[in-house]
Amino acid sequence: MNPIQIGVFDLAERRLAWANKRQAVLAQNIANANTPHYQPRDVKPFAAALHRLTAVEPTLTQPNHIGSSSSAAPPGEIVRRSHARSPDGNAVALDEQLVQVANMATTHTLVTSIYKKYLGMFGIALGRSPSG
Amino acid sequence: MDLDKALGIAARGMDVQTRRLRVIAENLANQDTTGSTPGADPYRRKTIVFQNSLDKEVGARVVSVKQVGRDGSDLPLRYDPSHPAANADGYVKLPNVNSLVEVMDMREAERSYNANLSVMQATRSMLTRTIDLLK
Repeated sequence: MNPIQIGVFDLAERRLAWANKRQAVLAQNIANANTPHYQPRDVKPFAAALHRLTAVEPTLTQPNHIGSSSSAAPPGEIVRRSHARSPDGNAVALDEQLVQVANMATTHTLVTSIYKKYLGMFGIALGRSPSG
Repeated sequence: MDLDKALGIAARGMDVQTRRLRVIAENLANQDTTGSTPGADPYRRKTIVFQNSLDKEVGARVVSVKQVGRDGSDLPLRYDPSHPAANADGYVKLPNVNSLVEVMDMREAERSYNANLSVMQATRSMLTRTIDLLK
């Protein structure tokens, strides 16, 4: 059995990759909490990221064709409109961002725990103790 | 790796807040620094501006110091003919440092620094837990 094809591991891996990416984006938002005109970014929700694994882009076969819309944000990132903005044009709400960071830490714990548990079940199947 | 990036970004965030704190310390320390020759300009308040720029070492967009400038606002005057920096009319130019503004700025820098520190702690625990998968 190929371990890549096991649903739980594959899903856990993707979720971890998504959480890591989001953590980097949140770190960027918080680091820029005092940068003038900075708009907080976010990554697409995991469900959306799961559905759209490969981005479908129109092919340019003629010079007259309009290419894919390349926004200012890198692929997969969205610029989030915030409810409030400080006088210097910065829209990062530190408390909101820190809640998201805590959420990411919780998600990460959850996923790594599931991964570990599932791995432990293989151990049981092989006749070892669950901790090993 | 994204978690390493997050650590790098948070570290840069802490770095710029430290530099901001240094500017604030300079302003507060010099809030009574006047000139020494008649009509000379006193200490002008320093300002610091951040920007979001690409850092090739970290491999992500990080926060950096755009410029450290001078506050060009009006200098308050005080009538003190005996002062060495007094002009012909007896007025001395004082630094345009408002300690209340500086202290408020200091609090904000502290708060941002702590937020970056929290990100670092959360990221580090995530890294540790990922490594724990190997155990």
